[in-house]
Amino acid sequence: MSDWTLCIDFGTAFSKAAVAPSGAWSRFDPANVRPLMLSAEGPNTFLLDSAVFVDEDRVLFGRGALSEAEAQAENKRAALRSFKTLLSVSDLDRALNTNAPTTIDPHRVFQLRDLIVLYLAYLLASIDRAIAADPTLAQGGVFARRYAAPAWRAGDSAGMHEVIVRLFGEAEAFRTIIGKRILSPDGLSLRTISDALPKAMDQAESLEMGLIYEATAAAAYTSVGLDGAGSHMIVVDMGAGTTDIAALARLGPRTIELPEARVTLKQAGDFIDRVIANRVLDMAKWAKREQDRAELWSVLMHQMADIKEAIMADGRTTLRNQGRSITLTFKDIEKDGDFRDFQKGLREAYDHALAIVRDDARARGSSEVQAIAVGGGAATPFIQDLIRRKMEATRPRVVPRPATPDWAHAREFRGNLAPVFPQLAISIGGALAPDSMLAARTSRPANDRSGTPAGRD
Amino acid sequence: MSAGKKTKPKKSAARQRAAPGVLTDALAEAAWSEADVALAQALADFDEAETAQKKGARQDALERLGQALSRAARKRGLSRVGGLDERVAFDADVHDLNATVAKTPKSVRIQARGVARGGEVLIKPRVAPLEKKKRS
Repeated sequence: MSDWTLCIDFGTAFSKAAVAPSGAWSRFDPANVRPLMLSAEGPNTFLLDSAVFVDEDRVLFGRGALSEAEAQAENKRAALRSFKTLLSVSDLDRALNTNAPTTIDPHRVFQLRDLIVLYLAYLLASIDRAIAADPTLAQGGVFARRYAAPAWRAGDSAGMHEVIVRLFGEAEAFRTIIGKRILSPDGLSLRTISDALPKAMDQAESLEMGLIYEATAAAAYTSVGLDGAGSHMIVVDMGAGTTDIAALARLGPRTIELPEARVTLKQAGDFIDRVIANRVLDMAKWAKREQDRAELWSVLMHQMADIKEAIMADGRTTLRNQGRSITLTFKDIEKDGDFRDFQKGLREAYDHALAIVRDDARARGSSEVQAIAVGGGAATPFIQDLIRRKMEATRPRVVPRPATPDWAHAREFRGNLAPVFPQLAISIGGALAPDSMLAARTSRPANDRSGTPAGRD
Repeated sequence: MSAGKKTKPKKSAARQRAAPGVLTDALAEAAWSEADVALAQALADFDEAETAQKKGARQDALERLGQALSRAARKRGLSRVGGLDERVAFDADVHDLNATVAKTPKSVRIQARGVARGGEVLIKPRVAPLEKKKRS
């Protein structure tokens, strides 16, 4: 029996982790939810930059990797990012065994697999440091581990899971050899890595971990602690690269996905960014020259998070460039043909998934379907409109749930969890979910570190 | 982080819940870090609005000021209550009547939206009685 459940969420830009007491699902107390302070630097300590940078004689991780990559950007050097995208490719083994491109590894010594293992080792070490720094968790206990993932390669989640837990196992073995040195702001020397990595690969065993789908994690944080939360749920997840729609059904203790309802659209946050930037360029009549347009594009992309948030929340935004003001409204965005196509496609996809989940709910005698929007685009008005639409048939009724659950406003957090909840939501939901919601588990026992005190290498 | 079956001495529920301060402080800092930037932007926009020579420039600065304040509020988890100019039935528990009246109005117009965090209303919507239609 474990005392705590830990869930790791690989975000495209950041990794996050959270811990909840085992059994939190049936005895939920918001005060016991513990997001982990993974990063030693920066004001938001809950976000660990997903980045690895191969320098001349060392490898840097996290924020340090990004800083160095920025400093060397003119030399066509880049950090390895977006592990999540890499891990979602259809032929994962082949992708992992590919050599990293020279922009990422000028020495041509690392395969992508090596760099991911190194990052995971850094992540595991950061988790241990965070546990040691948390007064409640540092008291000790046994941790059951999981990671959250989109429903990668539908139908082969078990195969993918084996590869991922093997990577984690290699990372754990590497971390055991290296110890806390991996958390040094100076990174690790290439020599240290070339000595330790082959040994770690030889010694590694798959780590005992569970896999929880992101949509299921969303279902968990939405319905935890709610009496009669309903057995069916539709989840709209608009991230940076894709918009995913998934439907879930709880059958007794198990939660299953209704695979025929799953739809993935290639348009999401990044697509909307481009639409906004193009509309602004159209409106900025003074930016005629290619150089001016490129400069404006760069400024827009730098401020895009704030611009998009204002348009979506307030319906308009006013920007300034070269002493001139531009006001852009949501209606301006809706004039874009591609955007209108995306909205239409999204509505159709949602209707398709909703029809399937309502049919299933009806067949099982369930009276309602919960609808929830998650991810960076959860608050977007057209996503909210989608999940709040009135249905023609009254049964089963669709009940929209807030993107940030009411319990995140619990008094214990003094108003401080709710503002950052969307960033941490999947890791928290993954930690709260009961074992019956897992998509896969490691069947083989892991290299058992039972009884190892938290945070001691 | 340890994994496996071996159990450790159990902590009481009270001990497990102890010391929330470190976590809430870190959560606060995470939320405030982004709100701080928006507030700094608001202060600069306010100066610009005050010193603007032309009406259009002042209007732009005010627009950006409002935008920056809204962003700061969102980063702190604050949300608006009601809609500007919305006509609603007056409820003294829910509204702040922004006028001196001899008789409690039945219907009011929202002059300034309220502000809430989660379920807690920090500022009630400010309302004014609806003006009676003039007879033509």
